[in-house]
Amino acid sequence: MASIPLADTEPRRRFRSDVLHDWVTTVDHKKLGILYIASGIVFFVIGGLEATAMRIQLAVPENDFVSPEVFNRLFTMHGTTMVFLVGMPIITGFGNYLIPLMIGARDMAFPRLNAWGFWMFLFGGLLLYFSYLGSTGLYGAGSAPDVGWFAYTPLAGKAFSRGNATDYWILGIVVSGFGSLSGAVNMIATALTMRCEGMSLGRMPLFVWMMVIVSFMILVALPPLTAAQVMLLFDRFLGAHFFDTQAGGDAVLWQHFFWFFGHPEVYILMIPGFAYASEIIPVFSRKVIFGYSVMVGATVAIGFVSLSVWAHHMFAVGMGRGLNIWFATATMIVGIPTGMKLFNWLATMYGGRIRFRVPMLFCTAFLAQFLVAGLTGIMLAAVPFDWQVTDSYFVVAHFHFVLIGGLVCTIFGAIYYWFPKMSGRMLDERLGRWHFWLFVIGFNVTFLTMHGQGLLGMPRRIYTYPADRGWEIWNLVTSLGVVLQIAGVLFFVYAVIKALRSGEPAGDDPWDAWTLEWSTSSPPPDYNFDEAPVVRSRRPLWDLKHPDDPDWKYE
Amino acid sequence: MTEPHDDRGIELPSPTASPLYFALGLSLLLAGLVTHELVSMVGAAFFVLGAVGWWRQVLPQESEQWVPLQSEAERARPVSPRRAAVDHLTAGEDRHRMRLPVEVRPISAGLPGAAAGAVAMAVVACTYGLVVEGSLWLPINLLAGIVLPSVDQASPEQLRSFHGLAFGLACGAHVLLSVSVGLVYATTLPMLPSRPLLWGGIAAPLLWTGVAWSVMGLVNPALEQYVSWPWFVASQIAFGLAAGWAILRVAPVATSQSLSLAERAGIEAGR
Ligand SMILES: [Cu+2]
Repeated sequence: MASIPLADTEPRRRFRSDVLHDWVTTVDHKKLGILYIASGIVFFVIGGLEATAMRIQLAVPENDFVSPEVFNRLFTMHGTTMVFLVGMPIITGFGNYLIPLMIGARDMAFPRLNAWGFWMFLFGGLLLYFSYLGSTGLYGAGSAPDVGWFAYTPLAGKAFSRGNATDYWILGIVVSGFGSLSGAVNMIATALTMRCEGMSLGRMPLFVWMMVIVSFMILVALPPLTAAQVMLLFDRFLGAHFFDTQAGGDAVLWQHFFWFFGHPEVYILMIPGFAYASEIIPVFSRKVIFGYSVMVGATVAIGFVSLSVWAHHMFAVGMGRGLNIWFATATMIVGIPTGMKLFNWLATMYGGRIRFRVPMLFCTAFLAQFLVAGLTGIMLAAVPFDWQVTDSYFVVAHFHFVLIGGLVCTIFGAIYYWFPKMSGRMLDERLGRWHFWLFVIGFNVTFLTMHGQGLLGMPRRIYTYPADRGWEIWNLVTSLGVVLQIAGVLFFVYAVIKALRSGEPAGDDPWDAWTLEWSTSSPPPDYNFDEAPVVRSRRPLWDLKHPDDPDWKYE
Repeated sequence: MTEPHDDRGIELPSPTASPLYFALGLSLLLAGLVTHELVSMVGAAFFVLGAVGWWRQVLPQESEQWVPLQSEAERARPVSPRRAAVDHLTAGEDRHRMRLPVEVRPISAGLPGAAAGAVAMAVVACTYGLVVEGSLWLPINLLAGIVLPSVDQASPEQLRSFHGLAFGLACGAHVLLSVSVGLVYATTLPMLPSRPLLWGGIAAPLLWTGVAWSVMGLVNPALEQYVSWPWFVASQIAFGLAAGWAILRVAPVATSQSLSLAERAGIEAGR
C-alpha cells in the first residue's frame, strides 16, 4: 500500500507546480466539483460572448458585423456550449461537491471514475472548440460546426455538410457525454449506498433526491443520443444510410433520437435548479420545506412524464393527428407536477421570516421567471399555436426563460449560497446585489421583448433581416438588455475575485442552515467530517441547534 | 471504503493521474478520426497507460493515502444550541389569513340547484320568445343550434315554428348544461368569500356571458345572429340566483378540515 504518513503538519511553502499537480491528479469529490463548476463558468463566458456577437449582428437590420457563415457557427456553438459544456458540468459539479457532504460520506462511491468523468467532459469540450482551428469546412479553412445545436439530418449528413466540422460536433459531444454518464452512475451509487447512520431515504435532503432522479434520467436519455451520433458518424464515414432518405434511410428518425434525449435534457438541466431552490428557499424563509414528500413525488413524476413528450419539438414535421394529440397532452401534463413544486416553494415562503440575501433574491426571481417559462411552454404545447410560432423567436424566448430565468438564476443563487462553504470566504453582499439587479433586469429586457419579435414572425437563426418588418425596435431593445446582463456578470466575476483575495471569512455555518455540509469546516477537510455524522431527521443541524424542539419529534 | 485509521488521521483514496490519461487517450483516439492517424496512435498509448495505471490503483489492493486530521484550531466547531426560541405557526393567528371550509353543501345539492336554475332560465328565455319575438319556439330552436348544424341555415319562419327533433335536443342540452353548472356551483359556492349569492348569482353569470359572447360565433352561429344580449344576461342571472338559492337551502355537512392530521388519517380516535 502506497501510504506515506505525513507526520509533519508544519505548513510548508508550496510551489505552483505542486498545486497544479494536486488538482490534476485529484480524486477528491470537492476538488472535482470545483473543477467542474469553474470550467462550466469559463465555457459560460465563451458561450455568452458568442451570444453577444449574435445580438450585435441582429441589433439593427441589414447589419454586417458577422458574415452569414460565421453567424451559423455562432448559434451552433452557443447552443452546444450552453447545454453540454455549461449546464451539464455545473449541475454535475454541484452534485459532486454536495452529495457526499449532504449525506455524511467521505467521498463519492467511485472516486477515480469521478475524475475520469471530469476529464472526459473537459477533453470533449476542448475537442469541440479545436474545430475552430483544426476542422476543414466547406472551403477547407478552419471552421466550427454550423448545423445548429440539434444538427438535423439531412443537413448534418455528408451530402450537405462537407468537410468535418460536423464530425467535431459529434465527437466532442460523444466524449463529454461519457463523462455525464459516469457522473450519473456515481451519484446514484453514492446516494444509495453511502448515506451516514440514520439517513434513511426519507431523510435525504431534497437536493440529493433530485440529483438521484436527474441521474436516472441521464442514464435513460443520453445513450440514445450517443447511439444516434454514432449512426450519423457511420453515415458520414462509412457510407451507411441511417438518415439518408434517398437510400431508404429516415431523416425524421434523427429528430426522434435527438429529442428523445433533448426534451428530458431540459429537465435534466432544470431539476438541479429546483434542487438548489429547494435547499435555499427554506433556509432563507426560516421554515421547513413545504411538502417534502410531494416534492420528491413530483420530481419522480416529472422524470417519468418528461420521457414521453419529446415530439412536441416536431409538431411541424407532419407526424399526424394521433401523435400530435398524444405529445401535446403529455406536455401539458408535465405542467401539473411542476406547478405543484412552484406552489410548494411559495408555501414555504408564506408566513416565513424571509431574509432577502443574494441567494434568496435569485431564487425569488427564478420563481417568477420560471412561471413565465412554464406558461409559454403550455402555449407551445397547443399544436395549432405551435404551428404558428415554431422556429420563431417566440420559441427562443421560451427556452431562454427556462434556461436563464430558471436554471442560470438558480445556479447564481447556488454559487452565492455554497461559495462560502467551498472557499471559506463570503461573496460580497453589495456586489451581489448589483449583480442580481443588473442581470435580472437585463435578462427580462432581452427575453421578454424577444417574445415580441417572435409573435411578429421573426424566424430564429436568420443572420439579418430587412428594415420593413416591424422587428427593428424589438431587436434593438433585446440587444440592449445584453449590456445589462454583461454588466451584472462582471460584478459577479469581480465579487468572486475579491472574495478569493480578501473575502470576509465565512465560518462553518454562515447562513444558520440545517443540512450536514454546514456542520464541517469551510472549506471542508479532505475527509469531510472528523467523525461520521449520525442524523435523526431531515434537518440534522436544526436538531442540534434546538435540542428542546427537534424535528424528529414531528417527522 | 475508507474508515478512520486512528485518532490522528483518515485513509482516503490516493491521488492518481491514471483517469486523466485514460480520458485523454480515449479523446485522442476519437480525435484521430478528424485529424490524423498519429493522433489516434498517441491516444492509444495514453489509453493503455491510463488503463494499466487505473487497474494497478485498485488491484491487488486499493491504493490509499493517510490524511492527518486538521489541527484543533482548523476543525469545525461543534454545533451549539441556539438561545432564541422557535415560533410555531398556528392556524388562524394574527395576520395569518385562513379560511377553512369547515362546513360545505354536499355535492348532491347541485341537483336541486340545477333544477331551480333550469326552470328560472327557461322561464326568462320563453318570456323573451313570446313577448319580443312572438314565438315560444324561437329560443328553443336556437338552443338546439349547439348540436344541430342545420339550424344555421333555417329561415326566420322555420325558427319560429315547432320542430320535434330540435325540441328534444334543446331539452337535452338544457338539462345537461344545467346539471353540470349546478354541480360546479355546489362545489365552489363555499369557497366564494362572504356573499356567495352575489358572486355565484351575478358575478359568475356575467363572466361566463363574456366568454359566451366571444365564442358564440364558433359554437352556435345561429344563436349569435338572433341573440338579444340583455335578455341573454337576464336569463343567465336568473339561473345563477335560482341555483344559488336552491343550493344554499340544502343543509351543510361538516368536512374533516377542522380535524387534526392524525384524526384525519384515522390514527387517533375522537377529538
Ligand atoms: Cu421539450
